[in-house]
Amino acid sequence: MSFMRFRRGLAVAVAVVLASTVASADEPVRIGLIEPFSGPIAAVGRDTLEGYEFFANEINTRGGVLGGRHIEIVPLDNAMNAEKTTQMLRKAVDDGLRFISQGVGSNHALNIIKFLGKHNRRNPDQAILYLNYAAVTTSFTNELCSFWHFRFDANVDMKVAALVTQLGRSKRVSKVYMLNQNYAYGQAFQAAAQRMFAERAPHIEIVGDELIVPFGKVLDFTAYIAKIQASGADTVLTGNWGPDLIRFVKAAAEAHLPTPFYTIYGGIPSSIAGIGANDGVAVSMRQLTEMHENDPLFDQQDPAVIDALTRYTKQTGKSTYSDRVRWTVEMFAAALDAAGTDDPAAVGRALEGMVFDGPAGPVVMRGEDHQILMPMVISTMSNEVARPFLYEGRNFGVGWQTDDWVSANASALPTTCEMKRP
Amino acid sequence: MESLVFALFNGVLYGMLLFLLASGLTLIFSMMGVLNFAHASFFMLGAYFAYEVSSYVGFWPALIFAPVIVGVIGAGVERWGLRPVHRFGHVAELLFTFGIAYVIEEAVQMIWGRVPVPYEIPASMTFTLFSWAGLDYSAYRVFMLVISVGIFVALFALLTYTRIGLIIRAAVSDPTHVATLGHDVPTIFMWTFGFGCALAAVAGVVGGNVLGTEPAMALMLGPIVFVVIVVGGLGSLGGALIAALLIGILDRLALFYDVGLAGIFSVFGIELDPEGTFRDFARMTSAQVAPVLPYLLLVLMLIFKPRGLFGTRDV
Repeated sequence: MSFMRFRRGLAVAVAVVLASTVASADEPVRIGLIEPFSGPIAAVGRDTLEGYEFFANEINTRGGVLGGRHIEIVPLDNAMNAEKTTQMLRKAVDDGLRFISQGVGSNHALNIIKFLGKHNRRNPDQAILYLNYAAVTTSFTNELCSFWHFRFDANVDMKVAALVTQLGRSKRVSKVYMLNQNYAYGQAFQAAAQRMFAERAPHIEIVGDELIVPFGKVLDFTAYIAKIQASGADTVLTGNWGPDLIRFVKAAAEAHLPTPFYTIYGGIPSSIAGIGANDGVAVSMRQLTEMHENDPLFDQQDPAVIDALTRYTKQTGKSTYSDRVRWTVEMFAAALDAAGTDDPAAVGRALEGMVFDGPAGPVVMRGEDHQILMPMVISTMSNEVARPFLYEGRNFGVGWQTDDWVSANASALPTTCEMKRP
Repeated sequence: MESLVFALFNGVLYGMLLFLLASGLTLIFSMMGVLNFAHASFFMLGAYFAYEVSSYVGFWPALIFAPVIVGVIGAGVERWGLRPVHRFGHVAELLFTFGIAYVIEEAVQMIWGRVPVPYEIPASMTFTLFSWAGLDYSAYRVFMLVISVGIFVALFALLTYTRIGLIIRAAVSDPTHVATLGHDVPTIFMWTFGFGCALAAVAGVVGGNVLGTEPAMALMLGPIVFVVIVVGGLGSLGGALIAALLIGILDRLALFYDVGLAGIFSVFGIELDPEGTFRDFARMTSAQVAPVLPYLLLVLMLIFKPRGLFGTRDV
């Protein structure tokens, strides 16, 4: 009798164990995406969510990860409020999420890095891994570097290095005027540019170097245009984004300033929509990305990738601004399979040093500091392109034409990271 | 000397843009005593309606239709929103307009989306009217100036020389008397508010394609228009004009004559140590602080002359 009871107990125990493993094999691997999904900048968050969901779905239809499990994206709205980002992290912990992604706003990213630093040390069995696809503050992979943070975008210093390298090669350029926003990011851009010009293009003279009060406080940029004109600059270099870029470009176009504009964020949908095709072409606006649709290399990619990107545009009515959301999801999936488990620490170790086949050559997640290294392309806005830029079904009649590629080596910078690994 | 004239000229252009933005607000405040926090939102509505209307029938009809639509909306807001709140006093009115600003922002996002719309300067006016110091000034920029001056002159004439202006001004100082004389004071207020909103919309039509038409534009523009009317003196049209020009010229001078703050302080006999506690401050230049100057002016004005330059009542 007691033996029977033991056997029945054993059977129940085995059934429970089996059921739980079956459940975890069906359970999706969830990534919490913390971004603004409400408020004035919600468009950026929603675009990203759309991208994540699309490329996660691509992997899921291909057969998923870890032998059939799906990747699921869980949107967590921070309303562009850094305090709410921390609240969303707590929610993610409560919901048992083990992977987090975020990119808009380095102050949010900083909160996440700090939060996870504490949380993962205190709860090593509930550690969370952070996939950063766009927060560009350089210190995240230098003095603030953490094992739990992986950056899938070039940092400010690398972006500036790429732009300055290309400016140095261009025979046309000898006098540069810089204008940036006076807050952490704009200051970092300015400092990096000053350093890079001295190192990489000492023959270029900086004839103007200004900081403006950021976020739409400057209504009329005519005065700056006059100063640029007076300085004799042949190139404008700016890290501005949002209204500070839109108004700057519009004022230059209106005054017929003949100086090309080199930007980082000139190609994000809100910039193109706000500036409009005419003015963007008038200042021959340049942007820096890891790929764009009109580059000859775009059509030389794996047909499956071209097919996916084409379907993305068809389904959402949006051109792909950057390719890195796709890379982030693909590399994450590859790391899960390489680790053979969804344990964040193991996935992190698999991501270290991972090489991904990018559209313009290998893309490497540097193990030392978890900073991605990739070729970047500088392109000019043009109204004579095969694939014009689409956003929400609207055709802007302009697209990008490649000026030059900057290799991964040329934009890679040494790191000061001394990482503590779990 | 020429550079000074150039800076002054640009200052006037910029100042008149500020006046254009603030004119409707000062009208509503001086005639009704309502500090309309949603003013910049009506400005935004004007820009969005102009974008929508001009995409069908062009810019010029939009310049008429957009302000009319916004004016009717404004009158509606006064009739069914502000009027019931009026008897609870100015704080209630203030809070009401504050709420309206958020409602309009959300509505705009729902209708036109969250990214900027490509509202551009009409192609017929992008040609260069004249050049100065290597800069081309488009016909549109001069058109903005003309519109601003026109609005000032028309408003001034309306309030000073017409019977309507007389009744409106009387209704402000003594509404019961005016009502006793047979005038419908609430209706006068309703249309005054609507007219103020329409003026904001005119600024939106004319300025939206220069400043960029997006849902956050109201939020970013709000503070500066309040500076203009507070410095000018609450309720003074001429004061708002002079304040706007003052701010515009101050801003341009600070930008063009890019002097270090340390230099400015040494004129007053204060030497700032470039390595001391105030080192960041000492290294700043007037161009960097230019956008803050209007707010500095606001603070100084509230301390030393709370009624503003030409104000007739306290803030």
